[in-house]
Amino acid sequence: MAESRRFTDVELERALRELGPRYPYPPTPNLAVAVRGRIVAQPAAPVRRLALWRDPMRLALAAAVVLVLLGAAALINPTTRDAIAHFFHVRGVIVSRVSPLPSLSPATPLNLGRRTTMADAQSRVSFTIAVPADLGAPDAVYVDSGVPGGVVALAYAPRPGIPLVKQTGLGLLITEFRGDLLPGFLTKEVGPSTTIQETSVNGDPGWWVAGEPHTVFVKVSSTDYQVQLRMAANTLIWEHGGVTYRIESGLSRADAFRIAAGLP
Amino acid sequence: MEGRPLDDLALVERARNGDVNAYEALVQQYQQLAYRVAYQVTGDAADAEDAAQEAFVNAYYALGRFRPGAPFKPWLCRIVANEARNRRMAAHRRTALAERAHWAQASGEAAPSPEAAAEADAFRATLVDTMGRLRDEDRLILSYRLFFDFSEADMAEALKVPKGTVKSRLSRALTRLRAALPADFQLSSEGSVDG
Repeated sequence: MAESRRFTDVELERALRELGPRYPYPPTPNLAVAVRGRIVAQPAAPVRRLALWRDPMRLALAAAVVLVLLGAAALINPTTRDAIAHFFHVRGVIVSRVSPLPSLSPATPLNLGRRTTMADAQSRVSFTIAVPADLGAPDAVYVDSGVPGGVVALAYAPRPGIPLVKQTGLGLLITEFRGDLLPGFLTKEVGPSTTIQETSVNGDPGWWVAGEPHTVFVKVSSTDYQVQLRMAANTLIWEHGGVTYRIESGLSRADAFRIAAGLP
Repeated sequence: MEGRPLDDLALVERARNGDVNAYEALVQQYQQLAYRVAYQVTGDAADAEDAAQEAFVNAYYALGRFRPGAPFKPWLCRIVANEARNRRMAAHRRTALAERAHWAQASGEAAPSPEAAAEADAFRATLVDTMGRLRDEDRLILSYRLFFDFSEADMAEALKVPKGTVKSRLSRALTRLRAALPADFQLSSEGSVDG
């Protein structure tokens, strides 16, 4: 029989311990799938967006950082000045050598824009989005319509034959944008251990940047400034018809070219 | 740390280096705990799911600030609890109490007799309801210790309080729980829920 009295701490603790396994929680949802999806296919979650145009001091500081980095590169190596000029050939992309390369966390988030459907992305950019036949539909599509012509990113999760790239958390990332409208949209800085090879992709001029991870730096448009600095993996870049294509992956040069063959 | 799988540290280290598969393994390992901690704060299933998911994503990007070798579980729970607090709103609170009652009713287990089952259900429902009326801090410390079996060190880390104050905080939470119970609330003569 029950007796009416107040409980000691020990009794109450015992009652709670017995309640624990029977506590009426709703069923636990499968968070692992959703979290992986957000990290792998939406690595832009905690985007570091600096509202530079609202803060002249920060804008000046960011500009100074760019100048110092580029200036340092030119001073360190007498041939670098030529190299910087030389690397302007793919519109929308600047590649320069810097030594030493800035040290960055490999988990620095990407900034790919808003996740959306392919149809929506297509309606928001001023070029025809190309999907490589070899890979098929991407696992996620992102669009950033805040820059002239728009930018599309096609994200592919790792799969057999496409290894995980720890810099992106993805298997392969394709970026497409109007390089003719966005001079200097991407600035890539490479260290001494990264190779840069001038190449031809589907008959158009391009670059193969491989070896040690390099940095991708500063995205600028006429209406917005977003500073993004992250480490990038092997990258094949080329331009066709005013659109610049960029494939970032852990693939070899030959495999990257095989995928590029399915693009314009 | 007792109860922590030996490969926790290895998984965290791999995840710190950007290995998403390793982080997914950590999420699978701790998703039930994270969800339940979030639910203890929000009392709302959808809010708890959102908070736990957001906490896991934020924790991934915060791994660079995670102290190597430190236990992952209490660090994660602190992020989860913060996310859950951010999401809790007064409007949800009312829903939460109703939801707790719903799940309390739904989760009643089979008992030897209808009378015993009814008595055990009523006992649990009263404890759950009273827990739900406590302050977050009290509910969390009681949950960490008595539901999730955290060590004092883990509780201190999860609650971000000095280790030396954990016992006294737990005791005060028990005192407040006791005071919040209905005056006619009874333990069985054996002092057990199922007695």
